[in-house]
Amino acid sequence: MTLFALSKTQEAGGHIALAAVLAVVGFFLLLPRPRGRFVAGGVAAVIASAAVFGAWVYTAFGNPLPDPIGSALFWFFSAGALVFGTALVVQRNPARGAIAFAFVVLSTCGLFLLLAAPFLMAATIIIYAGAIIVTFLFVLMLSQADGPSDENDRSREPLYGSFAGFAFVGLVLFTLYQTSQANVPAEPGQVKPDSRLPMTVLSAEERKVLADVVAKLDAPEANLDGDLGTATERAKKVTYFEEIKYAVAGVVGHSRLSTRGTLQSRLEKAPAREGTDGKLESPAVLFRDDPQAREALDRAKRVRDANFDSSLDDLSGPKPDAAKLKAQARKLRDEVALLYGMGELPADNVRNLGLVLYSEHLLAIELAGTLLLVAVIGAIAVAHRKGVVK
Amino acid sequence: MTITLWHFLALAAALFGIGLVGFLTRRNLITMFLCAEMMLQGVAINFVAFARYHANLQGQVFVLFILAVAACEAGVALALFLNLYRRRRSLDTSDWQELREAGVPAATDDDPLERVTAEPDPTLTPAGARPAPTAEEAARA
Repeated sequence: MTLFALSKTQEAGGHIALAAVLAVVGFFLLLPRPRGRFVAGGVAAVIASAAVFGAWVYTAFGNPLPDPIGSALFWFFSAGALVFGTALVVQRNPARGAIAFAFVVLSTCGLFLLLAAPFLMAATIIIYAGAIIVTFLFVLMLSQADGPSDENDRSREPLYGSFAGFAFVGLVLFTLYQTSQANVPAEPGQVKPDSRLPMTVLSAEERKVLADVVAKLDAPEANLDGDLGTATERAKKVTYFEEIKYAVAGVVGHSRLSTRGTLQSRLEKAPAREGTDGKLESPAVLFRDDPQAREALDRAKRVRDANFDSSLDDLSGPKPDAAKLKAQARKLRDEVALLYGMGELPADNVRNLGLVLYSEHLLAIELAGTLLLVAVIGAIAVAHRKGVVK
Repeated sequence: MTITLWHFLALAAALFGIGLVGFLTRRNLITMFLCAEMMLQGVAINFVAFARYHANLQGQVFVLFILAVAACEAGVALALFLNLYRRRRSLDTSDWQELREAGVPAATDDDPLERVTAEPDPTLTPAGARPAPTAEEAARA
């Protein structure tokens, strides 16, 4: 059995190579040629290749998104992009190819939406809708549809061409795999010091806890408006808020000064020490020295303060101040929500994109505008008919 | 988002590769142009995935510039196609193979294309008597 004992890397390489070879065979059989095009076999090989590729992605990188709907959409859109991309390449008729390209663009736009880029989705659809219509116009103008022609029914070196393309993809995927393996943390929750890509600051469990807390605090009115008078009602609320405060403290730390929450213990090598006068004596030494981690620790400190400033679990007085308690609950909720949103893109996509575009990339914008102008003039100059033949 | 980045990168690589194969093997200028656009789409997915991963908007800004450059490329490329078509009455890139490097043999198409024998349009034999022109028609002639 030692003969077949492969390392994980070899196994991944084998999967990628199998997918690439199947894709080469499929494209070789499917690419247009005068005779000998074997459509059924080509489609079968391409589907087999896609299946091997998808299975490899699934086993190597796991299920893409934590929620089932997001995963289903991811697989749906990526399958759409690959299927219609294949159709564009192997289609004889350029008009049908343009339709397939439209579907590739739509699938890509779906992926943009999954990646929190709604403005890019809209912009891509608008721009490529125009581009595809113009392409259609050109196909109708320039491509005569009567019978087979050299440009549509022949391919240039279908075997070598598809081999070159898919060998390239296979190498890229293999490099991707090795990089992903090199970036797997040594133990869960920790970050390797030489890791090139920053990981998200919050772990999945912490995010779940915080989301839970936000959901519970979202309705402080309902919980504080009820009858605060009777002792049993108060006792119930005290347990309710105690649970919340305990959950928050588990993430950000159990007391004001010694900050050993799960977040800190993951990010800090040595925690910050405060002197007797309340000022920082020595700053925290971090596993990760990037802005995201520092910002997360700042946020965690604010959450901790809000957590200990609130007196939500202190309803023992005879007449608790409901308005003050509500304000405290809302403050805690806002801070927790901000911590929960660490490492997410701003929800206000269009406005933030505009801000980044016109504040940091103003020169690039001007250059792009100039490029468009030059391209328009160039297109007119190239297409202009000099000395019209009557 | 830790694990999902790799999915999007793998998908983008596959999309780029399919576009590359199409660009290398197809001979129709318009199909080649669409394949190049598809490669750009794969690159755009990469950028947006990295933007999501790093939680900043630089990648999305880059994709906006890709869109601008793609629009320029489309304009100039289609103008060039028009000019090339005017000279050779075909979109086949192999019609321009005299532009190849010196010493490289010419590519020949050995396999003849299947000729489809299109049936000619039916014609009707003229029947009946030709109507005599009226007075107005005669005057106009």
